[in-house]
Amino acid sequence: MTRMTKLSLACSTALVAMGGAVAAQTITIGITQNNVGVDSYQTTYEQAFIAAAEANPDVEVVVLDAGGDVARQIAQIQDLIQQEVDAMIIWPTNGQAVIPAVREAYQAGIPVIITNSNIAEDGFDFVRSFSGPDNITQGARAAEIMCERFTDMGIQDEAQIVQITGQPGYTTAIERAEGFEQRLPEVCPNVTLMESQPGNWNREDAQRVMEAFLVQYDDIDGVYSGDDNMGVGALNAALAAGRAEDITFVGATNFAVGYDAMERGEYWGSIYQSPVDDAEAALQTALDILAGEDVPFLNYFDTPKITQENMGEFDRPVF
Amino acid sequence: MQNETLKRLIKNGAIWAFIVIQLVFFEVAGRWWSLSDSAFMDLDNMLLLLKQSAPIGIIAIGMTVVMINGNIDLSVGATYALAGIVMLDSMNWPFMEAMGDAAIPLAWLFALFTGAILGLINGVIVWKTGVDAFIVTLGAMLGYRGLVFMYNGENPTYHLNWTMVDFAEADILGLQTPALVFIAVVLIVWLMMTRTVHGRNAYAIGDNREAAVNAGIRVGPHIVVNFVLIGFLAALSAVAFYSGSGSVNPNDGMLFELWAITAVVLGGTKLAGGRGSIIGTLGGVIAIQLLRKGLGHIGADTETVNLVIGTILIAVLFLDRQLNRKGAEELKV
Repeated sequence: MTRMTKLSLACSTALVAMGGAVAAQTITIGITQNNVGVDSYQTTYEQAFIAAAEANPDVEVVVLDAGGDVARQIAQIQDLIQQEVDAMIIWPTNGQAVIPAVREAYQAGIPVIITNSNIAEDGFDFVRSFSGPDNITQGARAAEIMCERFTDMGIQDEAQIVQITGQPGYTTAIERAEGFEQRLPEVCPNVTLMESQPGNWNREDAQRVMEAFLVQYDDIDGVYSGDDNMGVGALNAALAAGRAEDITFVGATNFAVGYDAMERGEYWGSIYQSPVDDAEAALQTALDILAGEDVPFLNYFDTPKITQENMGEFDRPVF
Repeated sequence: MQNETLKRLIKNGAIWAFIVIQLVFFEVAGRWWSLSDSAFMDLDNMLLLLKQSAPIGIIAIGMTVVMINGNIDLSVGATYALAGIVMLDSMNWPFMEAMGDAAIPLAWLFALFTGAILGLINGVIVWKTGVDAFIVTLGAMLGYRGLVFMYNGENPTYHLNWTMVDFAEADILGLQTPALVFIAVVLIVWLMMTRTVHGRNAYAIGDNREAAVNAGIRVGPHIVVNFVLIGFLAALSAVAFYSGSGSVNPNDGMLFELWAITAVVLGGTKLAGGRGSIIGTLGGVIAIQLLRKGLGHIGADTETVNLVIGTILIAVLFLDRQLNRKGAEELKV
């Protein structure tokens, strides 16, 4: 939380103490995020979330970050229950391990909204809504982008590709890989996926993984990365090896670096997903639920395909 | 003489004084900055604190014993993850599934056994090769983590059993199971270190290994026992935590070794061995968790926690150094 927020919180708390009437209408929403600072998507998400909350005078937010640690996130959920927040938004570090903690919140009567990446089905009974992107569709759309490109190039029957996945155990990573691996044989049955390795949502890790792939395989026609951050890492490795020309790079979650690489013609396509939309959708879902409105359980926001061909229709991502 | 008593008081009491300062600070600051109406020093909140301290706390208690010995164990985080995986995965085995809920205690036993075996491997290598424990367990840290990834690739290992979760969330006098396990471990190991021959030998070996050998202490087997103990405790920590969460990420437990060592050092245990206390480590563990919880309570940035703990760690080591100096440079009290 920024110093400004803290200051404004201190002021508003003082105000609340002075006028009880105001206090009755203020809504407190707690959020525990996966790992702020690991990439610009999560950092922008946090900023957008705080900005959206500040713009609404009736809302106060407790913003926490689990730092990627499951145990710490469970502790934070318990702390938020203890603080008796009106609603809780969780960006799970592990879609399964948080289920018992989510049940505790449910038993305490606190509505839980899952954001960005969903928890496993066993926990659906304790969650009011999921707000976020449809990651399986994203993986499937990435497979379509890659297949269409190979068809245009006329290599749809011989192309060999590799995949760089996100952080192990993370639902988004698993779902995108699943969507991609299911859809690819349907649209391009003769394209071979030679190997998948985790790049941990990290550009340097992805670069190392790609360097190893380049040594291992003489012929790579395409790389699918779980997000553009890793995709650009892979691109850098291929550029250093002088082999980027022959490779079609497709990612997901279009980052500014990916957008720029597409503009330069080095990177082919991605999925456009805005963290600002993501954060605002999560907060709005929580507010709608508290207002007693009917909110669908899977509250997806749309994430369209973006390639070198149609990128003019999209603004450059801010992160 | 009075000086000596005062010094010892500062040494052993510093961590508790720090805890009291934190409590007062977060209570007062919480009135202004916290969005919550409930007090920070609420009884429920303090009981919750003990539960949240348990995963690293149980490991830190074992680490204290090993460090008093003059050794160190960097493989505890990987052991923790591997024990968790064995526990949850074993419940998916056909014969275990057939047993229903009766399989739960058996799964716990498998996990504890795994931890003890991994500890035994570390201990025997340290004993028989004479290679420094730092290097041996650094290798084990990488090796055991490799096993974690071999077990289930990059996927989480998952088995949600609500009976087990209910057991983990059950409470006696407001203390949930992990907190009770933590308290029991503190008590038992404290008794072991202060009331038994094994405990006294641990200090003797850490203080002066050669003298301990000359005094007829069988140093090798003694060290092995302590490594088995810390492996067992790392697995116990996994049992207490994963019973309540039901899913292990392959990179769970990373950096646990460093948090455990930090807690132990904060509690006044000497890195070189020979001195330290279980109760001091309990203080170190509580201080770290209190800081995390308190900074969250007043709405501060979560990253501040690491900065503050790092600063305090260096301050503690500096204080320790000053207190142990003799002569002109000695700390004046």
